Amino acid sequence: MILGLDTGTRTLTEAEHLLHDLVKALGLGEDTVACTHFVRTGDGPPHVACSLTVPHLPGPAALPDGAGTASGAGRTGPEDLAEGAALAAIAHATGTGGRLVLFPGHGALTGTLGVAEIMARSGIERVVVLAHTGDPAPDTPVVTRDFVRPQWCDGKIVLLTMPAADGRLMPAEVPDPTPCCADHG
Amino acid sequence: MGHGSSHGHPHDHPHEHPRSEAALDQGDLAAVVDMAIPDAELSPGQVSRRQMFRRAGLLGAGLTAAGVLGTPAAASAATPRHTGGGREPRGGYLWLAGDHHIHTQHSSDGMYKVSDQVGHGAAYGLDWMVITDHGSVAHAKIGVEKVNPDIVAARRDHKETLVFQGLEWNIPGAEHGTVFVAPGRNEVSTLKEFENGYDGSVKNAGASTPQNEALAIAGLNFLADSVRRRRVDGALFLANHPSRKGLDSPHEIRGWRDAQPGIAVGMEGAPGHQAAGIPRPAGPGSGRGFYDSTPGADSWPGYPPESYKTFGGFDWMTSTVGGLWDSLLAEGKGWWITANSDAHAIHADTTVRGGGDFNADGRYDDPAYGGTLNVNAGDFWPGFYSRTHVGARSFDYLAVMEAIRQGRVWVDHGGLISALVVRARQSGTGQLGVSLGDTLHVRKGAKVEVSIEITLAGVPNWAQVVPALARVDVIQGDVTGPVTDPDAFTTPSTKVVSSYEVGKNSGTVTFTYKVGAVDRPVYVRLRGTDGKRSAPGLLGAAVDPHGPAIDVYGDADPWNDLWFYSNPIWIVPRG
Repeated sequence: MILGLDTGTRTLTEAEHLLHDLVKALGLGEDTVACTHFVRTGDGPPHVACSLTVPHLPGPAALPDGAGTASGAGRTGPEDLAEGAALAAIAHATGTGGRLVLFPGHGALTGTLGVAEIMARSGIERVVVLAHTGDPAPDTPVVTRDFVRPQWCDGKIVLLTMPAADGRLMPAEVPDPTPCCADHG
Repeated sequence: MGHGSSHGHPHDHPHEHPRSEAALDQGDLAAVVDMAIPDAELSPGQVSRRQMFRRAGLLGAGLTAAGVLGTPAAASAATPRHTGGGREPRGGYLWLAGDHHIHTQHSSDGMYKVSDQVGHGAAYGLDWMVITDHGSVAHAKIGVEKVNPDIVAARRDHKETLVFQGLEWNIPGAEHGTVFVAPGRNEVSTLKEFENGYDGSVKNAGASTPQNEALAIAGLNFLADSVRRRRVDGALFLANHPSRKGLDSPHEIRGWRDAQPGIAVGMEGAPGHQAAGIPRPAGPGSGRGFYDSTPGADSWPGYPPESYKTFGGFDWMTSTVGGLWDSLLAEGKGWWITANSDAHAIHADTTVRGGGDFNADGRYDDPAYGGTLNVNAGDFWPGFYSRTHVGARSFDYLAVMEAIRQGRVWVDHGGLISALVVRARQSGTGQLGVSLGDTLHVRKGAKVEVSIEITLAGVPNWAQVVPALARVDVIQGDVTGPVTDPDAFTTPSTKVVSSYEVGKNSGTVTFTYKVGAVDRPVYVRLRGTDGKRSAPGLLGAAVDPHGPAIDVYGDADPWNDLWFYSNPIWIVPRG
């Protein structure tokens, strides 16, 4: 089943930490699918909710204090956060939205791999290239930078890539984006 | 560099601008048509213009400063007058190159002295510059004042360069933007009050919420009020790197522009940090423009993933034919583009940041010699690569601001061309016609042509090569009026309508684009390229067959992919 979880966190980094902590605390396996979702609920600021597959619903003790949760029709926690959790769970369940942090085979996506190899090793079902029509050739190398975050798109797990040096591709999401007002080198 | 250098008499008394006729022209049309402001509070020139509108029956008949369709009289009032004196080298205007996005040691992520930036910018051919250190608590408290003596000194030491004081505003609920004011005795106090009252960082108002979006509008209203009350002679706001993080939603951009069309006038068509894509080990090997983000919680959810990348070094909003910029132009809204350095740390420079406690002092100590080339830096000096050319009536601060406000602006990378003169006119009448940003009014059915005169590079750029212009594209769209969805970011009728091959790099080339008989309002804008990297546009080859290609992460040599863009000319038939 799919559990939606919303602590009102504002950044992807915090949400990913939350998911990793939860997977560890619940003792979940390699086949867990865990996602981040951007949600806007109530009067609060836009934030990041989470969703993940679980074999059974965890008890309140296993969840972060003050979190909202949603699974099926059930909701717990503050109303706004429970709504965010529900939005996340629905997007995950229907494959209409969400950015996958954990998914089957994600640990095998390191170094430089061919497009076909990425799909063979993991749950990723399609690789697309920004601003290009048509899918890339199966042997096109993809520099993963050990950071692969595909997305739910029309019920499929799709990895967005962009052109990289030497005719290769790389995930469109880079692990270390330049922050605002940070050193530019 | 290639721009005209006959500046007339650079004056050294920027604090004493009389409110001349020229100042009124660039001044607040909104005040003239805003009947909440009584005649007694207007200047004699503004009263005269209001009376003109009144006689024409335009006041109270929907005349606003909001768009070309609504302002035929206003547009004709803005038609260039000839000032005489022989200082009209290019189509009636002094084309002054500039940069409105420059950081110094007064930014938490900056390092250079004001004099470093102005000295280099002047050497690389800039006529005007805006110092824009980041809005922050320390800057608002200390930096705005501390930078001012440095700017005043730069004005004294570089009389060939106009140096504005501005700041990089953390727009509440959105991205960064340049805000700057005309020099004068209140420039510091106005900027300081603005930053303390309306900066998203100072006010902890960065999140994308309706309240924060409203605070951004309130900030623009403050600037407009400062101009109306004569506290400063002018103020402008331009959105910086608008697509970088997906924070500037279409409705926010429309909201800024509609709230204060005389203040919020445009955006960076191309971001700075153009060296960021130079491959390792010679460069940072990052995304061109440091456009290396993906959506976050505050990003507008409607933006597609490619919007976070640059195309030919330009922001997606500008580079997509029929995209967001065109959707604003198709509304008849003057929303102009610029190109800048965003200089923080210069690629392959040898200096390092000085020490000091930024939060305590509002600045870093002066930079020190570091002894090695900093190839990880992603910026060029002002004027080195990106330039914003404005058609000014004279060499002074208010004239530069007026040119920007009117959209008399074109931009280039790498010195791709030296000069651009564009005129739209009724065919066969011998008219001079109107220039960039202006509106040509013709009788319905009249034939219109756009004459394009390009002075090719002819001289080497700062990579020491003479760029060769390969192709010029004419882009045209229908002006269809206000959209019903304020978040619209495409428009269906805009496309590349004509292309001219060039393929040489010296002398002058001229083209005449025949718009034909005009039966509906349209606009025309230009784009040119060295032709080294092209791909079908994002909205299809039928819209843009040879547009800029998406930039390659870690392998985007900016000198091998050059483009220029012009702002539009509007053509509006009567009847």
